[in-house]
Amino acid sequence: MNRIESFEALRRANPRRGADFHEAVDAAAAEVSRRIATATTADAPQSRLRRPHRRLIGLTAGVALAAAAAVAVFLTVGSSGVTPGVEPAGAAAMKKAVKLSAASAERSGTVTVHMTQDGQVWAHKVVRWNGDDMEITDNSRGGPSSGLPLVVVNGMMYGHDPDHEGWVEVGPVSSIDPGSGTTPTDILAAVREDVGGKTLRRIVRAMTAGGVTTTRQSDGSAVYRGTVPAGQIARRTGFKEGETIRVFPFGYVAHDAAADPATRLDTAVTVGGDGVIREIAVTWGTWTYTVTYRQLGSTPPVVAPANAKTIREMRRLPQPG
Amino acid sequence: MNEGERERRRRFDALFEAYGADIVAYCIWRAGSASDAQDAVADVFLTAWRRLDDVPGGDAARVWLYATARRMLANQRRSTRRRAALAERLAHAVPAQKSSSDPEQYIVREALRRLGPLDREVLLLSELEGLSPAEIASVLRCPRVTARGRLHRARRRFRSAFEELAAREHGGRHRRAALETHAASVTHAPGGGS
Repeated sequence: MNRIESFEALRRANPRRGADFHEAVDAAAAEVSRRIATATTADAPQSRLRRPHRRLIGLTAGVALAAAAAVAVFLTVGSSGVTPGVEPAGAAAMKKAVKLSAASAERSGTVTVHMTQDGQVWAHKVVRWNGDDMEITDNSRGGPSSGLPLVVVNGMMYGHDPDHEGWVEVGPVSSIDPGSGTTPTDILAAVREDVGGKTLRRIVRAMTAGGVTTTRQSDGSAVYRGTVPAGQIARRTGFKEGETIRVFPFGYVAHDAAADPATRLDTAVTVGGDGVIREIAVTWGTWTYTVTYRQLGSTPPVVAPANAKTIREMRRLPQPG
Repeated sequence: MNEGERERRRRFDALFEAYGADIVAYCIWRAGSASDAQDAVADVFLTAWRRLDDVPGGDAARVWLYATARRMLANQRRSTRRRAALAERLAHAVPAQKSSSDPEQYIVREALRRLGPLDREVLLLSELEGLSPAEIASVLRCPRVTARGRLHRARRRFRSAFEELAAREHGGRHRRAALETHAASVTHAPGGGS
């Protein structure tokens, strides 16, 4: 039993995860509406606030029906615009989810990036991290690791040698050019930023400005939908063949309409019943770009492959063919 | 309803939509029963409705609601304590959840019970509500440094209590399994049991 397990157990006991939590919220919403309906009537002729009756046992059927109608009027889920004084509903919930997710992602997490065009898989990458250790599996077309993970444990990189079907100790992370954007350290920093950092805050801010709609799902999660300018999601990273390249989080080039920073892309952020972000899905034209988060804060440690050979040892092995 | 009232209702609607579930979760953990929790939530939002102009915008609204909920629950506890039958139960004021046969949930609740009320409060505000030490300080109306120190201590104590209880539970399970194995061997041994 370690430190992480005790706090994970505490989070698992969160009442938000209870099967009847949403019923409790609905019941509370109905009670709030009833109290306010009563209080509004009771307060009307008076200049000073007065406590309402704690229980509404005396409600007539007509008042009860009116209160039920008030629930629908007051607590409509969805279509929240910008309201002065109070943040739009979806925005506040998303901001909170960003905070929670970022805190969890600092420890560990697993993220799957999936990109499709016309229904065909364009990119698929899984990044798993725990502390500074990580494992990246890239199943993208022409991806560098051909479905086999690159593992970084205690600053040492391990790759898979397809010729000898074994693990190779590639070398220390520090041997890769720092600042090239491709070192595991860079990738890990980008992952943390994308999971709960600046990227997500930019997305949430942009969604808020355009209006957010909320859909509650039966599993307790909520989906917040809005549009975000492509430039807020895909960052400009340079030029290629005379054109600006914009890259989505996790390193995928933004194609077609997404290359134009002004294009508003349909964006959906799914927040689980525990308040942590589950998924960000962006769509434009025939493209989809989806980032799915799992086990934020509870991803098991990444383990160095057993019996990994050094490159020097690999050179001594007979070459195939 | 005039435009001003409609606007006011829209603001309240957004407030509940944004934070209603948070306040429900907060009250469920702390109230003596589900109906007490529902009462507390209704009181909190009724207060918010009446004082909507005082409710701050942004994330501060959530902190304001937690602080209000905390006061409401304290009032509720004070009045409920007068009811002798419930005095003992409320003296602990531990998360009011249904009893569970899940050993992990039992250990969590028991470990929380071993913390002082304020330590428990900061831990739950941090771990379940995701509040920063600065926000916790606002809810509890204490200096940030106090909230931070208390959180550090609460985490340490919770972990220690949890580990001790988990080890005990684990040992108990082993003993039970050993006893069951022993009983089975006696039952199935030739001439043993009937």
